[in-house]
Amino acid sequence: MSKIIDLKGSILSLTVLKLYDDRFEVTRDALEQKVAQAPDFFVGIPVVLEPQVALADATFLALLVEFLHQKRMIPIGVRTEDEQIKEQAEYAGLAIFPNTPDKPARPEKPRAASSEDEAGLKSALMIAGSVRSGQQVYAKDRDVVVMGSVNPGAEVVADGHVHVMGTVMGKVFAGSSGETGARIFANRLNPELVCIAGMYQLAEDIDDQFKNGFMEVRLENDKLVFNPDCLN
Amino acid sequence: MSRVIVVTSGKGGVGKTTTSASLAAGLAKKGYKVAVIDFDVGLRNLDLIMGCERRVVYDFVNVVQGEANLKQALIRDKRVDNLYILAASQTRDKDALTEEGVGKVIDDLKADGFDFIVCDSPAGIEKGAQLALYYADEAIVVTNPEVSSVRDSDRILGILQAKSRRAESGDAPISEHLVLTRYNPERVDSGDMLAVDDVVDLLKVPLLGVVPESQQVLNASNAGEPVILDEESDAAQAYMDVVDRFLGEEKEHRFLTAEKKGLFSKFFGK
Ligand SMILES: Nc1ncnc2c1ncn2[C@@H]1O[C@H](COP(=O)(O)OP(=O)(O)O)[C@@H](O)[C@H]1O
Ligand SMILES: [Mg+2]
Repeated sequence: MSKIIDLKGSILSLTVLKLYDDRFEVTRDALEQKVAQAPDFFVGIPVVLEPQVALADATFLALLVEFLHQKRMIPIGVRTEDEQIKEQAEYAGLAIFPNTPDKPARPEKPRAASSEDEAGLKSALMIAGSVRSGQQVYAKDRDVVVMGSVNPGAEVVADGHVHVMGTVMGKVFAGSSGETGARIFANRLNPELVCIAGMYQLAEDIDDQFKNGFMEVRLENDKLVFNPDCLN
Repeated sequence: MSRVIVVTSGKGGVGKTTTSASLAAGLAKKGYKVAVIDFDVGLRNLDLIMGCERRVVYDFVNVVQGEANLKQALIRDKRVDNLYILAASQTRDKDALTEEGVGKVIDDLKADGFDFIVCDSPAGIEKGAQLALYYADEAIVVTNPEVSSVRDSDRILGILQAKSRRAESGDAPISEHLVLTRYNPERVDSGDMLAVDDVVDLLKVPLLGVVPESQQVLNASNAGEPVILDEESDAAQAYMDVVDRFLGEEKEHRFLTAEKKGLFSKFFGK
């Protein structure tokens, strides 16, 4: 029997709209201005609302949803712990996301944690050896270069590109804040998962022919492309 | 200068206690003053393998909690000079050991002139295992040639690099050594076990030695004797090599390949 549907957990990159003002008109005007700067960019993007203030006006979210639809954005949910906002969200047909931190917690410090400090040149985060099972490395707003391997059970996350001099056997995420131009480079790729800007592929879905030799992974038309010939 | 060695693995039942006992006995036979400490509170089996379980009056927990002093609790080995055992307690709760308390015991042992302090870690990657590795200068990671054991060793190596005193204070990192135990070349050849190269390749830790799977280990532990003292056995020789390499000697690795089958088995199959 062929599959009709498949419901899977997903890692999505969403645009978050933070709201700092509880007056709808003011918010609308500010948005209007923002969209006018790059009208095409906002067409069709999924948006999560994150109110930073209480919204006393009971129709605020409903009005905002209507306005975003007019601008051809797709509001899908609200991120909040505020009971009153949750109620409004339900009324406006929005999903509610719990207010968990932006980035997954880091269970253990990576070996090169000290090079993560923000001072100086914002070049790539360098990891001296391998990233081991249970460790997670996160390169905020930059690339990461792993001099060793990404072992099974390890995770490497970067807002920029991910470069691995050894073998990727764990999980790698490039463009984790939505940068679709981010790429993954590995001397060998035999990963548990690769993900660029929210589009991911699991080991079982990756063709074995891509698991030997140098590999580049990039995003083209919302699809992960494996390119073994990128050096030629 | 004293060196603190943790024998650790992540996974249980891989041969940490066997390795701790033989390493400690081997170093003591070379003339060093050695203490071996059982950190496995609640399980307590180092004293059984060392054959001194009937002589335990005070244990590690008693010392940490100030109920006995070190001299009262250290058990002197009857076979090897300069070898002392600090047993774990069988009944106390697992939180009986504290970072400060352990630190004090280790400082006292150093002050007593011990050359090597071998810490036999409990299984896991939680508090007990973290305490055992916290003060280490050297780590011996014990691994079996199978995927789950290698994965756990990888995790414990990550913790060594992040959660030890040396990592926290920014001192030179713990030096890491790999001991691959229960190695069975026939099962490697048949694909049931990982080969030594595959393990070293993944963990990227220098190999101190390969200890073959051996009935002698079971016999020795039933007899309450570190297997390294059973000098004729393969396992003992493998552990002697481990000790020599640990002390800086260069030696070729042994016990890596299956024994050649004799004519008899060639004609008659297995
Ligand atoms: N090289 C070996 N060959 C055969 N059996 C072994 C070997 N090493 C350890 N064992 C056995 O494996 C079991 C677990 O060993 P132990 O040293 O207690 O492991 P751990 O301290 O890691 O839990 C024991 O029964 C021991 O006798
Ligand atoms: Mg043990």
